[in-house]
Amino acid sequence: MRLLILGGVAAGTKAAARARREYPDAEVTIVTQDEYVAYAGCGLPYFVGGEISEAKELIVRTPDEFKQENGITVLTRHQATQIDPAAHTVQVRDLMTGAEDGFPYDKLIIATGAVPILPKIEGINLKRVSTVRGLTDAKKIRALLDTGKLHTAVVIGGGFIGLEMAENLARHGLTVSIVELKSAILPGFDPEIAALTKNHLIEHGVQIYTGEGVTRILGNAHGEASGVVTDARTLPADLVILSAGIRPHTEVAAAAGVRVDVRGLILVDEYLRTSVADIFAVGDCASVRNRITGADTYSPMGSTANKTGRLVVANLFAPTEAFAGVQGTTIVRVFTLNAARTGLSTEEARAAGYDVETVLVPTPDRAHYFPGNRTIITKLIAEKSTHRLLGAQVVGEGVVDKPIDTLALGIAMGITVDALSGMDLAYTPPFASALSSSIVAANVLLNKLAGKVRGVSPCELALDDPALQLLDVRTEPEYLIAAIPGACNIPLAELTERRGELDPARPTVVVCKVGRRAYSAALQLQRAGFTDVRILDGGMTAWPFATE
Amino acid sequence: MTDYTLNCRGMQCPGPIMELFKQMKAAAPGDTAAISVTDMGFKKDIEVWCRKTKNTLVSLTEDAGVITAVVRKG
Ligand SMILES: Cc1cc2nc3c(=O)[nH]c(=O)nc-3n(C[C@H](O)[C@H](O)[C@H](O)COP(=O)(O)OP(=O)(O)OC[C@H]3O[C@@H](n4cnc5c(N)ncnc54)[C@H](O)[C@@H]3O)c2cc1C
Repeated sequence: MRLLILGGVAAGTKAAARARREYPDAEVTIVTQDEYVAYAGCGLPYFVGGEISEAKELIVRTPDEFKQENGITVLTRHQATQIDPAAHTVQVRDLMTGAEDGFPYDKLIIATGAVPILPKIEGINLKRVSTVRGLTDAKKIRALLDTGKLHTAVVIGGGFIGLEMAENLARHGLTVSIVELKSAILPGFDPEIAALTKNHLIEHGVQIYTGEGVTRILGNAHGEASGVVTDARTLPADLVILSAGIRPHTEVAAAAGVRVDVRGLILVDEYLRTSVADIFAVGDCASVRNRITGADTYSPMGSTANKTGRLVVANLFAPTEAFAGVQGTTIVRVFTLNAARTGLSTEEARAAGYDVETVLVPTPDRAHYFPGNRTIITKLIAEKSTHRLLGAQVVGEGVVDKPIDTLALGIAMGITVDALSGMDLAYTPPFASALSSSIVAANVLLNKLAGKVRGVSPCELALDDPALQLLDVRTEPEYLIAAIPGACNIPLAELTERRGELDPARPTVVVCKVGRRAYSAALQLQRAGFTDVRILDGGMTAWPFATE
Repeated sequence: MTDYTLNCRGMQCPGPIMELFKQMKAAAPGDTAAISVTDMGFKKDIEVWCRKTKNTLVSLTEDAGVITAVVRKG
């Protein structure tokens, strides 16, 4: 068998390596226009920041190693320009010499990945303006930083790559700003989680301008970037990072008649087969099914690229190993904050037609008395009628990867909130609480689903509603430290005697540190005839807005 | 002048700040209290609390997951 693979980063090389093991006699060739293969794209921001000291640490295997150890031919700086499905050949251009050659194949795997979307603005071609896609980009940026001459940077786009880059540029001492067109950073995350992440970045000196579009990049006399102009301001920028999203890199496939969607995403079935016989597509260039909604989606992740690259090899001759799809599981670290998600966000769940209930629950990440414990905030999203868990997000300075992976597994298995509440999870003080964060969150959600209490998200609390009665039931010193503007303070212990200070007919929102005291207060007020009581989800701990 | 020591490790909010509040109420100007806690949220809280109550935060350190703040009355 002649197996030809286009693209040699994550998906392409995974496929090549497994093909070599499964089909020892096959002739396996990787053609890529990149100068590097088999590098860890996900590690690029950390190489830029210096946490990873040299580029070579990110390279899993070189073309020579592929040849010697695996008998796989890798042609770098070779671009596939045309696929002829009828003749089973691919036209390839040597980018160094310009020479063209036809490569025959029996099976073709397209792993051409994605390319950054470039905003159509003036100044995009200036020096010191860079995308962060491949090792070439990262080396260029790192070399600029190592000169020590850069002082300011603007990152265009507040997705996870933009945030990771902001952190790593700040590590070099640069003053960094992020400009994001949408109203929030971290697309795909719920607004509370995104707002908390934004606060953390601001605390670490990164400026964030959301809801602002970049209109122009300014240059100096040397043709280098010097500033960024947005709808609202001009920011100094010795370096401009373009991280405003990516699109599938599939022009060659589309031109050959391989079915793509409007974005150019190659549509594949669960066996990674395209619409054309003997042509498969994997990684960032191919569609993946969302395992909750069943919809074909674009989910360009390294985790998926590695999985599909591996799987496709089993399906070259007959559909054998199906890909179950994705559920949007991602995780990001920004400075000392971690944020992770899995399943559907609240917005995605509603868009898919689910009637949902959500909670936002702060807990310590391990026993609260164990030194080193850190707060994490768990958001759960469940379908009201079935109690099925649809999504989860965890943010905080503590450990979030463990709960998110547990929740991801639960969601994949169709877990209900009731079942989650009863999960037998590992417990000993250095690792967890007796009731782990996910179980506590499930219990709060069950109380809400049972109608015992109603909540309001910090992002939905209308502070300007003149009828609103905002009651803070924390102690006086806590209230003194930080309170929501307009909140009145009646500590829980005094609520019974001082209840008369409140109007039972007015809509009342109760707030405390995490929600526990607010829950007790809300039950008390409801019993006393207050008709419209809600608690502030996540309390002051998850409140992402101004305090006084 | 008296130096008080408060072990508030293991206490969750509002425990530590309440203990400190009580101690500072009882203390004389110039007295100090060294309070150790395992609730990381305390770190931010203590700075604001000292500012707003006009007490002096003499030091704030973290070692092996334990935060120690030394606060002087006044
Ligand atoms: C900065 C950064 C951080 C990331 N962090 C994470 C993370 O933390 N977690 C995570 O899951 N994912 C992360 N990702 C995403 C992950 O890196 C990608 O999902 C993964 O690289 C996709 O691999 P791929 O092989 O499908 O495509 P790509 O990596 O895009 O590789 C495709 C290759 O094909 C080549 N090619 C394209 N067209 C042609 C052609 N016509 N002829 C020849 N060659 C061609 C390209 O030059 C490229 O080298 C990150 C990505 C970046 C850029």
